[in-house]
Amino acid sequence: MASAIEDDVVTLDRRSIYILPTRAGVAFTGLLFVLLVAAINYSNGLAYGLTFLLAAVALVALLYTHRNLHRVRISTGNAPPVFAGEVASFEVCLSNSGQTPRVALRVEQEEARSDARPPWRMAGRMQVARVHLGEGETACVTVSLPTLRRGYLHAPAISLSTEFPLGIAHAWSRRVMLPTRVLVYPRPAPPRPRLAAAGGGEQAGTGAARSGDDFAGLREYARGDSLRHVHWKAVARGQGWLTKEFGGGALGVQWLDWDALEGLEAEVRLSVLTRWVLDAEQVGELYGLRLPGKIVEPGSGEAHRDCCLVALALFGES
Amino acid sequence: MRALEPVPDRAALLSLAVAGTVAVAPYALELPIWLVLLFLAFALWRYAIERWSLYHPGRTLRYALTGLAVALTFQQYHTLLGRDAGLMLLIALLGVKFLELKRYRDYWVSAFLFYLVILGAFLYEQSLALGLYALVAVLANTAALVHFAAPDELNLGARLRLASGLIFRALPLMLLLYFLFPRLHGALWALPDDSSQALTGLDDTMQLGDINHLAESSDLAMRVAFEGEIPARRDRYFRALVLWETDGRSWRRGPALGDAAEMVPRGPPWRYEVVLEPSNRRWLPALDLPFGPPPQARVRAGFTLEHREAVRERLRYALTSFMRYTTGELTERERAAALQLPDTISPRARALAKEWATEHGDAREIANAALTLFRREAFVYTLTPPPLGADPVDEFLFGTRRGFCEHYAAAFVTLMRAANVPARVVTGYQGGEVNEAGGYLMLRQQDAHAWAEVWVAGTGWTRFDPTAAIAPERVELGTLGVGPIADSLQGIEIGIFERGWLTTRLYWDLANLSWYRWVSDFGPERQRELLAALGLERVSLRGLLLLMMTAVLAVALLYALWLARNRERLDPAQRAYARFCRKLARAGVARAPAEGPVALAERAMAHLPDKRAAIDAITKSYVAARYGSGGRIALSPLRRAVRAFR
Repeated sequence: MASAIEDDVVTLDRRSIYILPTRAGVAFTGLLFVLLVAAINYSNGLAYGLTFLLAAVALVALLYTHRNLHRVRISTGNAPPVFAGEVASFEVCLSNSGQTPRVALRVEQEEARSDARPPWRMAGRMQVARVHLGEGETACVTVSLPTLRRGYLHAPAISLSTEFPLGIAHAWSRRVMLPTRVLVYPRPAPPRPRLAAAGGGEQAGTGAARSGDDFAGLREYARGDSLRHVHWKAVARGQGWLTKEFGGGALGVQWLDWDALEGLEAEVRLSVLTRWVLDAEQVGELYGLRLPGKIVEPGSGEAHRDCCLVALALFGES
Repeated sequence: MRALEPVPDRAALLSLAVAGTVAVAPYALELPIWLVLLFLAFALWRYAIERWSLYHPGRTLRYALTGLAVALTFQQYHTLLGRDAGLMLLIALLGVKFLELKRYRDYWVSAFLFYLVILGAFLYEQSLALGLYALVAVLANTAALVHFAAPDELNLGARLRLASGLIFRALPLMLLLYFLFPRLHGALWALPDDSSQALTGLDDTMQLGDINHLAESSDLAMRVAFEGEIPARRDRYFRALVLWETDGRSWRRGPALGDAAEMVPRGPPWRYEVVLEPSNRRWLPALDLPFGPPPQARVRAGFTLEHREAVRERLRYALTSFMRYTTGELTERERAAALQLPDTISPRARALAKEWATEHGDAREIANAALTLFRREAFVYTLTPPPLGADPVDEFLFGTRRGFCEHYAAAFVTLMRAANVPARVVTGYQGGEVNEAGGYLMLRQQDAHAWAEVWVAGTGWTRFDPTAAIAPERVELGTLGVGPIADSLQGIEIGIFERGWLTTRLYWDLANLSWYRWVSDFGPERQRELLAALGLERVSLRGLLLLMMTAVLAVALLYALWLARNRERLDPAQRAYARFCRKLARAGVARAPAEGPVALAERAMAHLPDKRAAIDAITKSYVAARYGSGGRIALSPLRRAVRAFR
């Protein structure tokens, strides 16, 4: 887990920045031409001077525009799980490790996902935010996507662009694929009475309760453990990731069973099970989840609930 | 959906209005002043609309105002073309445009056109002062453009700093383009002739009393840069015109006498360059006797230089002159013209001349007799002589005896001719002020002078300056040495402030001359000279363009590298850790990209078992300093541990 400390960071280098004149830039070029013609026609030294000064200013401005994006670091932050149908949001952090401020950066996200395009083109751009980064500053923005299906949802490609300082040139970065994804849980079905599978007794499972109020000890962190229970001080000390365990009073165990929903489509079954998991957790029951090829031992608490939801979200995926 | 792109606000409008006003202001001197006021009124109107949410004029009104702008221009100039009308229309329409601003794109268009307005002012004047002013105008306009690109992010100070940084960095590129861009001869199409106004300067005709007006003008007439040393003040006679014909009151050049007679140099040549201020006349002043004309000019009888056309803009020409020479024989026509006198010359003047002619046989002696007369009798040099009547020469010689160079020159030549000695009046400039800062000579209108030339057998045309006989200080000190000002100044030492002021004035003039040489006068010829000085005599047009582009690209590349250098700021913990990583790499454990400190430590400890403790300690204090609550407290142990690590 050590690399979690140093996040994956994309730094925009020279080859991942493109630049072209804007419409205003084309107009400015036309203006320069008019000025040059006036200078030649009137053999006016001062007019030559002004024309060339503006041409030189435009050239330097082009370099400024490029520099505005150069070496901006893009990293990803939180991407909390959502239920299908909700909007998934990905936190994207931009940081300026240099001394010059980055002014008026636009963050744009790709509207449709496709990988086969050239890196300088995106399938539809949607502006997400306008960011200003002072010396050494970092700013985070949220990129969001609607969710339809359960499973992992990858973050959309994003691109940074800028027209600073004179608005005559448009610089943009290549499509940056964010190395982050959101886990989408199945969409919870409408409330539905709980059925037990044939042969599945109410008290069948006797798995150790894994959640409660009293501190019971430390164990290795496992995926799905609630972040609230991570022993952060240990992490800071470099002792690795540990999870605090709590014990509590044992209650009757509820088995939420795939087989209890026979006759329904797989996705519908998953939806219903998701609803049951949420309900059971809300009531505070001890519950376990039984899926074909996957059994979550009974327990309760947020970490346990998330464990069940992950199993439901990834059902059928290797 | 919230609006991510900012919409123009009042601050943006203010930026644009200020930039526009600065750009338009110089026109107050050239175009009707109400035009500038009209522009300002539109800007203020729009600002008031935004400030107090007033009624915004609809499309009909705006079209009517546009029509009005066109009509006003047409009414003023009866055309919409040409410099004056075109610029007036542009400014008026940019005024109306203030009412139509909506999106940033409109702001951009206006700001771009303000650059055109700034350039337009150069068509009236190319002075150093206007050049400096234009730099300020460009700064204001560029800062406005920065404002439109980053309205919320940067404040006024940051915008101005950024715009001046842009301009400052653009200057080297601009100079390359300026000097290397191939300069072309003449206009791409015919320009409407904007008539020049009357200018002060020497006239083709000398009415007794004329040069007096010039004596009061300190306007610059010309600058002269000598190749070697500057001649002594008493030798600095610059001839402009030779006046042959007189009716007793005024002197003119008379009918053309063909080309100049021959001149045989009898002394060293003087090489120099003249920068003549616009005179609206065709003559080109030259030191004493010029040897051959500059391009576009010819030598007239009397060794005066005549330009192809009237000098409407500053003109630069190089000449060689001689101060010791003999000239050839007189032609019959010249002799006739040099002896012409009207019948109205008074008998006593003729008698006086006849007396000298019989007394002295030689022309030189006769001339000296006349000079002796001026010196001996009670002749007074003054810039405010009494008015003269119908026969001014007679009245001056025998009556008032008060006058300045014109009176003395006219009277002298009249007497010479009456004594049958060929003579002529020469007008031009004499003396001048040496600009110590630039090492050149400045001649002002007040240095205008008139003197005489007498044809002496054997030497030819010889200069006699009767004014020098009566008031040598006029020739030694200049007009300031005589007039009423000089009287009051005499005996008073010049104070330190006056001296400072004089020095400043000289430097300002030097700056203006350099400006002229490198800006107004930098045309195809000067560019060729410059390239020749750089060893590029025979560079073709294509070669020059190629050279220019290569140079510009090279500088741009340097800039790009310099801008990319934008240094990263590491915090102290990162710096110390980076040092640790370098030490580890030397020991054979290089950090992999994206390898975290803990993973690296594990690898390093496996590789260097004897340093387990040190590696572990450093990693722990680094993690604590960067991510833990330890902060700065953990910093010094980290630094110490890294320093100790071998």
